[in-house]
Order: sequence, then C-alpha cells, then structure tokens
Amino acid sequence: MAALKNRVLHQTGHVLHTLPYRETSLIIEAFTREHGRVALMAKGARRPHSSLRGVIMEFLPLEFSWSGQGELKTLTHCEWLGGQALLRGRALMFAYYMNELLLRLLPREDAHPALFDHYAATLAALSIQADAADEVLLRRFEHALLRELGYGLHIEHCADSDESIQPVRHYHYEIERGLIHADLRQGAEDGRLYISGRTLIALQADDYSEAETRQQSKQLMRMLLNHYLNGQPLQARRVFKELQEL
Amino acid sequence: MSAPSSLEALIEALRCLPGVGPKSAQRMAYYLLQRDRQGAARLGQALTHSLQVLRNCARCNNYTEDEVCERCQSPRRDATQLCVVESPADLNMMEQTHVYQGLYFCLMGRIAPLDGVGPRELKLDRLLDRACDGVVKEVILATNFTNEGEATAHYLGELLRARGLSVSRIARGLPVGSELEHTDAGTIAQALVERRPL
Ligand SMILES: [Zn+2]
Repeated sequence: MAALKNRVLHQTGHVLHTLPYRETSLIIEAFTREHGRVALMAKGARRPHSSLRGVIMEFLPLEFSWSGQGELKTLTHCEWLGGQALLRGRALMFAYYMNELLLRLLPREDAHPALFDHYAATLAALSIQADAADEVLLRRFEHALLRELGYGLHIEHCADSDESIQPVRHYHYEIERGLIHADLRQGAEDGRLYISGRTLIALQADDYSEAETRQQSKQLMRMLLNHYLNGQPLQARRVFKELQEL
Repeated sequence: MSAPSSLEALIEALRCLPGVGPKSAQRMAYYLLQRDRQGAARLGQALTHSLQVLRNCARCNNYTEDEVCERCQSPRRDATQLCVVESPADLNMMEQTHVYQGLYFCLMGRIAPLDGVGPRELKLDRLLDRACDGVVKEVILATNFTNEGEATAHYLGELLRARGLSVSRIARGLPVGSELEHTDAGTIAQALVERRPL
C-alpha cells in the first residue's frame, strides 16, 4: 500500500527546464496543475533511442506520472497531449522568460491551478503569435504571478490614506508599502518610480490598451520582480536584450 | 584511513566528465589503475598531446591542428554555401550524408537562455564575420529541432538575412522509411504544420 500511496498519475503539466543527470538521465523541473512545481528524474531519458526523447520538451502540454516521496520523484510516464504547435522566434524568448520566473519564484510542491491555467493559455497564445508575440501577454503573466504568490500589488488605494486612486494625479510606488501621493512640482527624484492614476486604474483591470500603461506597468513589474528576485538578474532577459542588440 | 593524495587528485579530475559523480569517478580510477594501466597511460598522453596541438579552426571553429582545417582549405568544397551546426558530432553526421559539398561553421553550443548561454557566450560575432566574407551566398541552419536549436536558428536567420545573405533551415519531417502508425504524435503534428505544396 505504501508504494501505491506515493504514486501520482496523469498530471497535466509543462517542462520548465531540464538538467542532465548522471550518464543517461535527466532531471525535469515540471510545473503541474495540481501539484505545482515538481522535480522529476527521468531515468535513461538521454539514451539515443529513449522514447522520452522528443516528448520531454518545454512549452508543450504534457501529462506526467511519477512515484516517490522525497523532493526528487521518479518519472514513470510522460505523454504528449498535443493541440499546440511548437513556439517560434520572439515567442520562444518570451516563454523562456516565463519559465525562468516560475523556476525562480515558485516554491516546490505548492499548487497554483489558476496560475497554471494562465501560463498554459499564454503559451497557447504565443504558439499562434510566433514572431509577432505581444509583450502585453508578459505583463498579464507577471501580474498573475505576483497575485498568486501573495505579493499583492496594492494599487487600489493610497498607502497612507484610504483615498481611492485619482486618474489625474501621480503616485510614487514604494515596495511593500504601496502608493504614495507624488508631488511632481518638486521634480522627480533619482530612482523613484512615478505612475499616473490613469495607469493604476487600467492596471487594476489588466487593461494595457494605452501606451502609457504598457510603459509604466513594465517599469513597475520590473521593479517588483527585481525585489522578489533579490536583485539577481534574469538570464532570459539578458540573452533576449543581447540578441536584439546584435 | 584516507586515500593517497594522488589517487584523490585522479578521482577529482575524472569528475570533470559530464554525468560523472564521486562514485563513478572512483570506479573509473580503480579500473584504470588495476585493470588497464596501459590504457591509462595512453589516455594520459592523448589528453596532454591533444590539448597541446588541437585548436579551433579560424574559419569553421571545429577542432584542427592547423590555423585553418583541411576541409576549409579544400578547393573541392563549395565556398558559397555555409552550414551552421551546433557541435562537431552534428558536423560529422552532415558529412556522412555525402549530399553536402559546402563549408561549415560549428557553434560549439546553442542559445540556452536558462543556462545563461547567449550571443556573447556563443561568440556569434565570429560566425557573422565568417558568413560575411563576401564569398558565402547561402547559409544553411542545421541546429537541432529543440526549443534551444530553434531559438538559435531564428535569431541567426534574422541576423544573416539583415546582412544580405540567403538563409535556409534544414527541413523537419518523418524519418525516412517510417510509417505514420509507428511515429510519435509530436513529429506528425509538426510535419502537418510544416506541410508543403505538391
Ligand atoms: Zn575549418
């Protein structure tokens, strides 16, 4: 009975990253709908004729079965669920960025079905958009990630009063405190992020139709993520930036 | 009682091989010392020698003992075609087909954002310089059909096209002699997406 209790079958999920393990095996960092992020050891997956080759791929909907109690489980089965084309071009880089955020911020074995659904839907959208991939998808994903991890944005009202956000005013955002009225007449101070009330109201509704919202929300998300990543830069962002500069 | 320091150093040195942990390294060390001392001596000499004489070809980046390798110097190869591969093993596979007469560039890796491998680590500027020598007309991208290989091919394609070169990607499809019934769903799905007019 003990062995059966540790068996988990037919879990929908995605591969976030893989690492070679011993001579022929692979460790998969997977993001599953019902079990969150799990580490799975795929025995023999790097052998030339392994049936897992061509199945264990990032960004495609997969189904995993595993067994084991420790932090590192043993993959017993992995199947391709289909219905989504491979990602191409810019969309691929966006997807790597999402995977890196999940790897860095999501604790192991902590289920986040709503975040998973958002992630899977974003990948499906990216597979269609390919090289015309829209950055707004990333802003929505970052927003969903912070919300799900419990790092609320606190953009509904001012931190020092319960006053609601005025579209015509400007605000200054302080991490872990929230919004403070900004007096722009004093001039913007170094390194402080100023956001318009209009942007904040649009952000509450996840509405990125205005250019100003897209620009300011990118700055806000970058500041917040940088804080929760303890200032450690994201590799995917650096590589993407370098590729665009060539 | 601890192992002699030279034995410890050997075990530690063997651990630099991919996928070799402390236990495998110890097994290898004992095997070499007990069962195959001649083989061990040959291995040691070969390692020292190859490190002294082998370097990267100035044109294709593959390993060679000369400044420019034999293949890159051969008048029989078509210098207007340049095929980009990830590794020397991939280059050897391409050669085994005997259908390609052009030259190569070996990246010695691929763009792998989550492992921190970008254009700087891959020294992509060297490939761009090589492809823009004025002789090369077509670049064939033969990186792997993995997400990393695709990302590499995509960005190389953009960079090379922007420099006026004609760029192609090797085709992906069903294995030769295969039957649909016995092919994995992913391969069939992608073959369908990338179908071509007949
Ligand atoms: Zn050469």
